[in-house]
Amino acid sequence: MTGEPKPTVGLFVTCLVDAIRPQIGFAALQLLEEAGCVVEVPQAQTCCGQPALNSGDDRDAAHLARQTIAAFEGYDHVVLPSGSCAATMVHGYPELLAGDPDWAARARAMAAKTHEITSFLHDVMGFMPRGRRCDASATYHDSCSGLRELGVAAQPRALLTQVEGLEMRGLPGNDACCGFGGTFCVKYSAISNAIVTEKAEAVESTGADILLAGDLGCLMNMAGKLHRRGAKTRCFHTVEVLAGRAQGPAIGEDAP
Amino acid sequence: MTARDRILSAIRATLGPGKPPERIAAEAAALLEDPDAARPRLAAPELPEAFALKAAALGTTIDCIATLAEVPRAMARYLDAHGLPPRFAMQPVPELAALDWQGLAPHPAVAADEPAALGLALYGIAESGSLVIHSGPQNPILLSFLPLHHVVLLREATLLPYLEDYAARLAAQAIPRNAILITGPSGTTDIEGSYVRGAHGPGFLHVILIAG
Amino acid sequence: MNAPFKAPFKAPFKARAAAALADPVLKTAIDRTTGNAERKRAAALAAFPEFEAARARGQAIKDHVIAHLGHYLEMFERNATARGAQVHWAGDDAEARAIVTRICLAADARLVTRAKSMLGEEIGLPHALADAGIERVETDLAEHIIQLAGEAPSHIIWPAMHRTREQVAELFKTGHQPPPAAEDPATMVQSARRVLREKFLSADIGISGANFLVADTGATCTVTNEGNAELTTTPPRIHIVTAGIEKLVPSTAHALALLRLLVRSATGGEMTQYTTFHAGPKRPGDADGPEEMHIVLVDNGRTKMLADEFREMLRCIRCGACMNHCVVYRQIGGHAYGGTYPGPMGSVLTPVLDGLAASRDLPNACTMNGRCAEVCPVGIPIPTLLRAWRRRSWREGLEPGPVRAGIGLWAQLARRPRLYRLATRIGLPALRLFGKGGWISRLPLAGGWTDHRDLPRPAARSFMDQYRAQQKARK
Repeated sequence: MTGEPKPTVGLFVTCLVDAIRPQIGFAALQLLEEAGCVVEVPQAQTCCGQPALNSGDDRDAAHLARQTIAAFEGYDHVVLPSGSCAATMVHGYPELLAGDPDWAARARAMAAKTHEITSFLHDVMGFMPRGRRCDASATYHDSCSGLRELGVAAQPRALLTQVEGLEMRGLPGNDACCGFGGTFCVKYSAISNAIVTEKAEAVESTGADILLAGDLGCLMNMAGKLHRRGAKTRCFHTVEVLAGRAQGPAIGEDAP
Repeated sequence: MTARDRILSAIRATLGPGKPPERIAAEAAALLEDPDAARPRLAAPELPEAFALKAAALGTTIDCIATLAEVPRAMARYLDAHGLPPRFAMQPVPELAALDWQGLAPHPAVAADEPAALGLALYGIAESGSLVIHSGPQNPILLSFLPLHHVVLLREATLLPYLEDYAARLAAQAIPRNAILITGPSGTTDIEGSYVRGAHGPGFLHVILIAG
Repeated sequence: MNAPFKAPFKAPFKARAAAALADPVLKTAIDRTTGNAERKRAAALAAFPEFEAARARGQAIKDHVIAHLGHYLEMFERNATARGAQVHWAGDDAEARAIVTRICLAADARLVTRAKSMLGEEIGLPHALADAGIERVETDLAEHIIQLAGEAPSHIIWPAMHRTREQVAELFKTGHQPPPAAEDPATMVQSARRVLREKFLSADIGISGANFLVADTGATCTVTNEGNAELTTTPPRIHIVTAGIEKLVPSTAHALALLRLLVRSATGGEMTQYTTFHAGPKRPGDADGPEEMHIVLVDNGRTKMLADEFREMLRCIRCGACMNHCVVYRQIGGHAYGGTYPGPMGSVLTPVLDGLAASRDLPNACTMNGRCAEVCPVGIPIPTLLRAWRRRSWREGLEPGPVRAGIGLWAQLARRPRLYRLATRIGLPALRLFGKGGWISRLPLAGGWTDHRDLPRPAARSFMDQYRAQQKARK
């Protein structure tokens, strides 16, 4: 980078990454820095509010929206390693705060600079990972919110082609929901189970070593089902492979 | 208050006083501008070929002849090929009655289990391979639905390119009681999605396309 | 507006869903039909690159009509009346049933044939006719099957899609005299053709729905692939149409533009086999046709939807694409939903028709994956509408106590970042105690998760703690 100041990025790691798999957060941090961003992780972040939003609890969701906007609106960009949390900020926040004269414009402004990480790296930063290697076959599941609400589809695939040794295999029904759905998977667990069982069967049918996706919620659901079924498929977030961090334990293999 | 008043006043309470009818009509017309942008291309540049391609894809069979006078022979060919008797129901129009039917025996009334019937299409639509019939004194609707084999005469000159072209023709004439677009033989996929022809209407649709 | 005939669906949603999930035959039947529908729709769209433009136009047509609904209703009434049809208005399902029954009784009708209409199901017409002592014969093949089975439709396009061919063969064996000679679909369809043909020609009244009500001609439009609508509406003395007030279109051309979307989205075809406009009764000199035509315009919650946040749902043209592409529908089928309309569109409509208290599970039992909105030919934002019901359910206190408590507790923590950090610092190591290796396979209070799948063991230290430590070390 010459002359031009580096863009600042506020990284929202998401509550699931924070608690379950911090490595995804560090992979995201690393990639953003490699792409030439100045990255900060605001301490005031907790959860984007999606569980409240999807449960109909708009009051709590709006409170979390305001809290998150206040913590992140100062950055050039807000980036998340999750399509569904990013979609909450991009679409949910402006909708939640539309009737709030003090916050509506701030919510829209924040929405305009919020990105899911692979689309940010690819579309905004024009970044391609270099010198990454992963000798394995992998299949990719399109997490629904990222795919349909943010148009995340080609970007992760384009970035993954840069990883040497990685053989990508198509996943039958790659754009069908895995049955996670946030609180859905526990509120209607029997239906969720039926859906994720079909997803696990599809993943196993590819014979791929690795399952990749861009949302830890979906990954936990699919990895948890694959493990319960005794499948050997290893599950990683896309950014872990892109950051060269897929050598270590996969989701559930060990808690790092 | 009648249900009508309740419904209309509930709508007015929500939507407010309406716009002038001319404005609404202009808006409605604007929604159909530039129809090419929102409809499929024809299957072929020439209307008869485009029509034939679409119709055939739906299982309609087509026989092309040069003039109306050849219809009896074409009909005989079809009945013969399907092992059907020479008796068939025919739409009671003078131009068909005037033809020389030779060994065939057309009759005007259509029976509940009529094996075959011959009728005349008012238009054909190339976009979809559809045939148009309108009800009227000389056009019993059941003639198109009761027989197992429905044979339809279609003149090339009556082929219209798109569905919109038919809508424009319809709007320009007295609206018949029934206007029907027939697009292929009767079919159903109600048992496990497997396609079966002849559910209630004709199991066979045959078009005799007349060039002249 | 609760229809009393919905008694068969007394079990709660989760119990109905569980029963459906435990039925492997049902799953086979669903997979065959929806899988086929999904593939055929995709092929039809691939052959129609202008589909997106057509969809935008379809949505605009519906929005235009909804914005001028009163104008178009009056225009339709005027033109239909001018063609000799009698137009009736019904505020709710009971009024609609009463109007139809009254017409039937006044005509001394003994046998009524009916061409499939979801609106008819919505207003409880089948049971109303039975209560009035009138024989009702369903003529759509699928409706014929479920009439023999004594069931309600499980899909709005393929009402009998929950039945395999073997099950249909069983029904026809006793329902057809003589029974079909073989169990293949073609032979069974022939048998139904023979049985129903007699009914078509001896019915006193034919009842149909309408896919479109054409305002500028006063015509109603039915679309079928079987040809049963015309055989239902032509021979009897009286034709009755029941239609929702949202079915209006300005003109025939608008109807045909929407039909392009409807057929491709419903079956993956390009055009229905029979697209018929019915404008009034038989004219003087007409070779055939009914002597009377009655059109019942039904509100049943639609003006309420117009007035509130569910207005966009009035765009729905009842294609069924949302259910064919819904992961939940594809697991539990239509009956588990318990309303007239199943699947995503049904989860928006059923709370309107049956009340939210009785149906709050439906808008909640959705993963919000957005596929329904993606395939909707008129751009209905179904997940947004489902979220609106969830919001209302939360506000009205209909959500179960444990859910409210859980979300509330979690929100209290999330709203206090320092407390949240502290909670993760204590909670994560505690949670890890339940794990073996990298996984937790049983966790108290989290059976919804661990009954079916393992839970990755959480990290010993949260990202935020690790990150802060790193930052300190750097300094």
